[in-house]
Amino acid sequence: MREAIADRELIVLDGLGTQMLGTLHRPADWRADTSVPARPGVLFLNSLSLPRAASGDSAVHWAASIAAEGYPACRVDLPGVGDTAGSSSTELLDFINGGGFTTAATAAIEELVERYNLTGVVLFGHCAGSVSAIYAAAASKNCSGLILLDPYFHLPQARRPKVREGLSTWARRSALGGLMSGLYDRARKLLLMLRGSQPPGNANTELLARWKQVASTGVPILLLKAPGIKAQGAKPRVGEFDYIDYVVQLAGRKSCATVKFVESADHSFANREGHAAVQMHIDKWLAAHFPLDAVEAVQPGAGPLRVGESDITNHDSNAVPADRVCALEGR
Amino acid sequence: MPSPLHSSKPLEERAGYFPVSGVHLYTVLHEAPNPLARVLLVGPFASERHNSYLPWVRWARFLAGEQIEVLRYDYRGIGESTGDFEQMTFADWQQDVQRLAAWLEARSPHVPLLLHGLGMGALLAGRAFDDGVGDGLLLWSPPQNANQALRATLMRWVGLEQIFKFGDERKSASDYIREIEQGNRLEVDGYCWSLDLWRDSFHVTMPQSLASEEGAALAYKRPVRIVKLTREAAPLTKGGIVGYDDLKDFNWLFEPNCSWVTGRFAKSASPSGMGIAYA
Repeated sequence: MREAIADRELIVLDGLGTQMLGTLHRPADWRADTSVPARPGVLFLNSLSLPRAASGDSAVHWAASIAAEGYPACRVDLPGVGDTAGSSSTELLDFINGGGFTTAATAAIEELVERYNLTGVVLFGHCAGSVSAIYAAAASKNCSGLILLDPYFHLPQARRPKVREGLSTWARRSALGGLMSGLYDRARKLLLMLRGSQPPGNANTELLARWKQVASTGVPILLLKAPGIKAQGAKPRVGEFDYIDYVVQLAGRKSCATVKFVESADHSFANREGHAAVQMHIDKWLAAHFPLDAVEAVQPGAGPLRVGESDITNHDSNAVPADRVCALEGR
Repeated sequence: MPSPLHSSKPLEERAGYFPVSGVHLYTVLHEAPNPLARVLLVGPFASERHNSYLPWVRWARFLAGEQIEVLRYDYRGIGESTGDFEQMTFADWQQDVQRLAAWLEARSPHVPLLLHGLGMGALLAGRAFDDGVGDGLLLWSPPQNANQALRATLMRWVGLEQIFKFGDERKSASDYIREIEQGNRLEVDGYCWSLDLWRDSFHVTMPQSLASEEGAALAYKRPVRIVKLTREAAPLTKGGIVGYDDLKDFNWLFEPNCSWVTGRFAKSASPSGMGIAYA
């Protein structure tokens, strides 16, 4: 058995005494010593309990693509997830939403920076992984950027009540149910208007505070959004609070957050078109914010984008959006 | 017995890459000192891997904690293994089983080798066993053929898809099957199924002798256990919520199956310690 092959190697991060197994994707011109120019790396964090390859092995492909652009990319299994040992329980979602992986993620950042002479680490998180990434970014001085796929800023339930599940099923299957669902959405919209711009009662206020702390400093952030359930393009479902719009405002004028809507993706971003769109956005964004002299991959016209930009960039797909079940849906 | 779910005891686990035909299989060896037996885990297929990863890993740790050495791996083109999924065939995945079983057996030829598969993995393990590989076989929810396994995966995926679809947007499994039979590639949870894969799946069948434990006992003279998992075992079977059901305690499943393995492969009291007494 080998621990390394042509473009990747298996590594163990041992920052806090917890051994975390990961896969490092190495750039072609990069050697793991201090004699080469320092550069930033990208660290992928687990999405909920999914192993580090992620749905459809999308994280493997994205990490390989990032490495091909000249940035070392590491996918790590956090404690209790994937191949890394550790305690875990059915309360994992609450644990993550409370920033439970912050210590482990920051330890991983510091160890990667030191071991591979990185100038900093861009954290990559999808869904619950983006929650862990925001918490870790706020806690680490070595986080130099964030790539967030479908982040959420509320406190979802791991399991929805059976009655609500039954009603949702009925709404999806029958014409009358669909009609009632539409009326329900409009009633929620009315309540939303009455509440003004304040987030709902189940907002994750701790996470929002961390987001503000990080984003307001001007740390580059790429936020990719897939179509939601019954969503209207980039906007959320009728009656649903627009968290993305809210956090962009919350970030303030100094922030450097780019929001992109990936029309062809589903929530997993693992479908072929969504997958390719994510890769394209990441390559452009990295080249714009973390240019490498040795890399000639900067796309023409790929300048930094600022808060509030929310352009739809992927019109070429006719694929039907397909959401995957996730404890975080049904927000 | 302490539950591996909550155990923080470090176990000897070695991850590595195993070369086969131009690609590398990702493997994790769960070492056990003086093992009673070795087990090759032939895991769930494609997207099923991700859903059931945690209980599968915990099962490996459970066995290792009972002095059974375990090797688990990712199929070619899936997970951490290299290779393009769309280029792979059932013959490739069958070869993975044979190669890794040979490697594991060679580590210590006098320690019995058990093949254990789940779903598609049960089919591949069963076929390897029928070819003479292994001293015992444990099957969880074996399908009759690979097409049945693909359909189970498809049904799970369609079920998830339908949760978020309304009215006319909803497509049935039959609709998707019709599409693939018309020659269209079908993307299931990020994996592209080709018409060739679908067609080939009808011809990859479980050996007739493995239709029942009784038949297997007569045919092979080697221990065989066949377990049909219930819904309670989700996400090892259809259903379950990622981030919840995969974190449940599975000791109710692990304990009796582990006991069967240790019971069948208890070492004899021969002076060399190399004899094997099948219970």
